[in-house]
Parts: sequence; structure tokens; C-alpha cells
Amino acid sequence: MKIKKWGSIFFLSLFLLLAACGDNDGTSADTSNAETIHVVTTIAQIGEPLSIIGGDKLTVESLMGPSVDPHLYNPTQSDISKVAEADIIFYNGLDLEANMVEVFKSISDEKPVLAVGETLPDESILIDEAGAIDPHIWFDINLWQQALDAAVEELKEYSPENAELFEKNKQAYFEKLDALKQDAEKLTEIPEKQRVLVTAHDAFGYFGHMNGLEVIGLQGLSTEDEVGISDINDTIAIIKEYEIPAIFVESSINQDAIQAVIEGAQSDGINVELGGELFSDAMGEPGTEEGTYVGMYKHNIEVIYEALNK
Amino acid sequence: MTYTAWIIVTAALVGLSCGLVGVFLILRKTAMMADAISHTVLLGIVIAFLVTREVSGSAMLVGGILAGLVTAFLVQWLHSLRVQHDASMGIVFTTLFAIGVILISTSVGNAHLDVQHALMGEITFIPFHTITLPVIGQIPQATALLMIVFLVVLFFIIAFYKEWKITSFDPTLAASLGIPVMVMHYLFMSLVSVTTVASFDSVGAIMVVAMLITPAASAYLWTDKLAVMLVLSGFFGVISAVAGFYVAAWIDTSISGSMAFATGIVFLVSFIGSPKHGLLSKYIRPGVHGRIVWRVKR
Repeated sequence: MKIKKWGSIFFLSLFLLLAACGDNDGTSADTSNAETIHVVTTIAQIGEPLSIIGGDKLTVESLMGPSVDPHLYNPTQSDISKVAEADIIFYNGLDLEANMVEVFKSISDEKPVLAVGETLPDESILIDEAGAIDPHIWFDINLWQQALDAAVEELKEYSPENAELFEKNKQAYFEKLDALKQDAEKLTEIPEKQRVLVTAHDAFGYFGHMNGLEVIGLQGLSTEDEVGISDINDTIAIIKEYEIPAIFVESSINQDAIQAVIEGAQSDGINVELGGELFSDAMGEPGTEEGTYVGMYKHNIEVIYEALNK
Repeated sequence: MTYTAWIIVTAALVGLSCGLVGVFLILRKTAMMADAISHTVLLGIVIAFLVTREVSGSAMLVGGILAGLVTAFLVQWLHSLRVQHDASMGIVFTTLFAIGVILISTSVGNAHLDVQHALMGEITFIPFHTITLPVIGQIPQATALLMIVFLVVLFFIIAFYKEWKITSFDPTLAASLGIPVMVMHYLFMSLVSVTTVASFDSVGAIMVVAMLITPAASAYLWTDKLAVMLVLSGFFGVISAVAGFYVAAWIDTSISGSMAFATGIVFLVSFIGSPKHGLLSKYIRPGVHGRIVWRVKR
């Protein structure tokens, strides 16, 4: 009998607790009026440019905020209502959001869903020696313009009455991207032999492809790959051969492996320094210059140029 | 049904299935089996990838379940060779996991292949991935899968209730009664493997490991009767699912994380308040005429 008494007290209190916090049913994210189009993107690299192009006609939310590494994204409760209330969804595709693809395919029966990366022609997608697709397409500004263009076309189709505005804003934004390409030109001033970018994981394939840099990633495409001893030794051999002055860490990834390379190289009598921090999968904090696509890209150009042009 | 309702129903199904299976895991002192399986599924998905060259989809689920079964069988086999149960779990899962890691770096190359993305589901997005079934209509895929798992678990527990009871508490007695103890062990481990991997595929690892162990361990504090323990454990699983969801909604955080956290809270409450083994009951005991007598340690 005592068990029953104790038990009922316990359950009663649990139920009271439940009842107390059971009112707010995930509707709190609904702050905007019905006029604007709700756009939800996975990565902020899509969302931030679209919020500029869309102006006040769009409410853009990114599931993975600017400073979140998409490989390590953990959804929160409010992401349910973000996805549920979205009018249109954009994601990168090319296996970047592997575990969400089935969800997006299912949602696409009900509302427009577009994988911007998969609108690009196949021959422009980089494939590594093992046959895996490299999803980090935003680092090639030309490709990213095409991808954003596909997203804007989708928006125009969704909202024909705003098509002209979107087109105008897109032209203005693409001019900024063209200026960014001009900026990137200066990477070609780096002595040819030193145009090698050594980083923690293979995110910069497209960056190197576009800007004429050879890219060596310690870790492979996924940030969860293990770094092997041979990876570190191979990288040190390359640094020695090409006399690379600096190697780089990434904002969203543990720096130990890169530090190991630097220490290993120094014990071999090679002087290589830490070139600085690059933004790879994640952009900077929202509200800062590096939290925007253009600012993030500019930051990377500056850091690489400063460190390698010696 | 609303999105919220589907998530709670799915989590409750995980809580029920894992809660029931977990009781026998606790009684057999093999609680970390789920953790072991959460590592060995890596080998399963790597092999599934090598066969299909896809990084997601049902092949991953099949690969995971097969890996779980292999784990269960190897653990049981080593144990039958007189290796301690915990040690055989440790040996099997590290070895299989290591083979998976080696295969990834030698033959898979740089593909985006990791357990987190290929197999582990995410409870937050369950309501958006629906299938249409006859009779029931539109239902999230994960919910349908877990419903089947729950029915399978329930069927086997009820069908062999007496056998489970005797083999769990006294294998020697069971053997002398003519119950095929080894077969029951293998059957149980298969049940564990299917439940864990299907739940991994739907809701992710942390929540499954928590749901398998903590509700059953809490129930063990409240009762010594197997039937009561099974009911309580399933109930604690459901309570944790519901409470966890509202905690997640309250502070806007990871749903599976807060559900796992809620199981911990249920255990803490049980640990302090249970009438038999709780901390409080060691100090407070009703006296002869129903008066409370404070017992003070001297």
C-alpha cells in the first residue's frame, strides 16, 4: 500500500510539472506578419545573401546559424515550427545535409524545396580521388552566383509580383560578388610555388580551384574523420618541398592537428607559422562583418594573402 | 495530428520499447549493450555503403541491424566461453568499431560517411517525413517503424514471460527445468539489437541509450516484482519523453537531449524518494502506530 501512496504523490507532482509548462506549443517563432514570404535555409551561406536580395519581402531564417558547423548541427525545438511555417525551403544538397535529405524530399510534396547545389551542372562539381562529392560549393563565387540565381528564380516563380524587385536586388548583390572576385585576384600575386593552402579539413577545394591554389586538407571532407599519423607526415613533407610559409586553422574545428603539423615541421628544422583562422563551414558571428558571405570571403582572402605572400 | 503530437507519440514509443527491453538488460547486468551497439553500427553502415554506394537510406538501417545482431551473437558467444559479460562486450564492440574505422580510412576514402549522418535519426524532423499506410493513413515513417518494433517487443515479452523471468534471475534453475537458456539469450540479444538500431535510425543515439537503461534502473528502485517493474519502466520512459519535450520547448534546445536528461531526473527522484531503496526512506520510517519516527544515524 505504501508503494501506491508514494507512487501517486510522485506521479501527481510530475503531471503538475507537465501541466505547468504545457501551454507554449512551439508557436513562439511566429513573429512576422503574413505579408512576407517565409524562407528557411539550412546554411547561412544561402540565407544571408537571400535576405539581402529579398529585402523586406522575405523573412529568412537559417537552421544552422552563421557560426554553426553543418556537420555538427543539432536541431532545437523551435526548428520544428521554422520548417513547418516555411513557405519555401532552400538547402545546399550534394550530401552536405545527408541526414535531412529524406525529410526535405518528403516536404517537397507540400511546398517548394530546392537543393541549390544540385542545380549546378555536373561537370562543375569537384570530386576527390576517392570519388566523393565535395559539397562546399559556396567557396567558388561563380558557382555560388549560379546557385543563388537558381534560388532567386524559384522565389520569382513563387511570388511573381515581386519578381522585378528580386531581379533588381540580385543584380546589385551580384555586382558586390563581382567586386569580391576582383579582390580575390590578388591571390595570384603570391609566388607560384607557395600557392598551397594547408588546412584542417578539405573544405577549400572550390576556393583553391577558383583562385589557383593547391589545397591540402588534413582531415578529409567530413569534420568527423580521424587524422592519421601518415596524414601529418605527408603534410610536413609537402611543406618542406614547397617551402610553404604558413598553414591555417578553421574557426569551427579543433586546432590540435594543425598544431601537430607545425610542431612536427619545426622539429624537422622547417619554419612554418600559423597563418591565421579561416572560416570554412561556418561563417562568423551574426551581426559582424564576417557573419556575412561577402565579409567571410574577404576575411579568408586577406588572411591567406598576408600569410602566404612572403 | 500536430507536429508536436507526432514527436511525443514517437518518443513515447521509444520509451516503451526501450523501457521494456531495458528491464531485462538491467536484470542481466548487460546495461551497456546499447552503448556497444551504438559503436558497432559503424561497421554495418560502412559495409552497407561499400555495397550500395549510398550514404543514407534503408540500406543503412539494414546494415546497422545486421551489425547489431553480429555484436549480440559475438558477445553471447564469448560469454558462453567463460569470458565475463562486461569484458566480452568491451572486446567485441571495440574490435568491430576498429574494423569500421580502418575500412573507412582505407576503402571509403573521403566520403561524408559517419554514423551521425548515415544512420542516426533526428527526432525534431520526424513529423515531416511521412509515408502513407493502408488503414492508418499518413503517418511519419519513424513512428510506423517504432510501432512495429514495439509490437514485436511486446509480443516476445508476453509470449515468453515465464522463460524470461527464470532465465534472467536463475539460469541454472532454468536449464534444469528444460528451458533452452542459450536460445533465449540469443533471442533476447536479437531483440535488443533490433530495438536499439531501429530507435537509433528514428531518434538518435543519446536518447536510446538513456531510454534503455535509466527508466529500468529507476523502476528497479521502486519494486522487486518483475511485472510491476516492466510496467513502471515503460511508464517512466513515456513520462521522460513527454517531460523532455516540454523542457526542450521551454528553453528551446535539442529535443532528444532534453528527453535523455528527463530520464536522469526520473532516476534522481526515484533514487531519493523510492520507498524501498530511496535515500529518504533510510531516514524516515513510519513508526508502530503510523507516527513518523526520524531515524538518525549514530
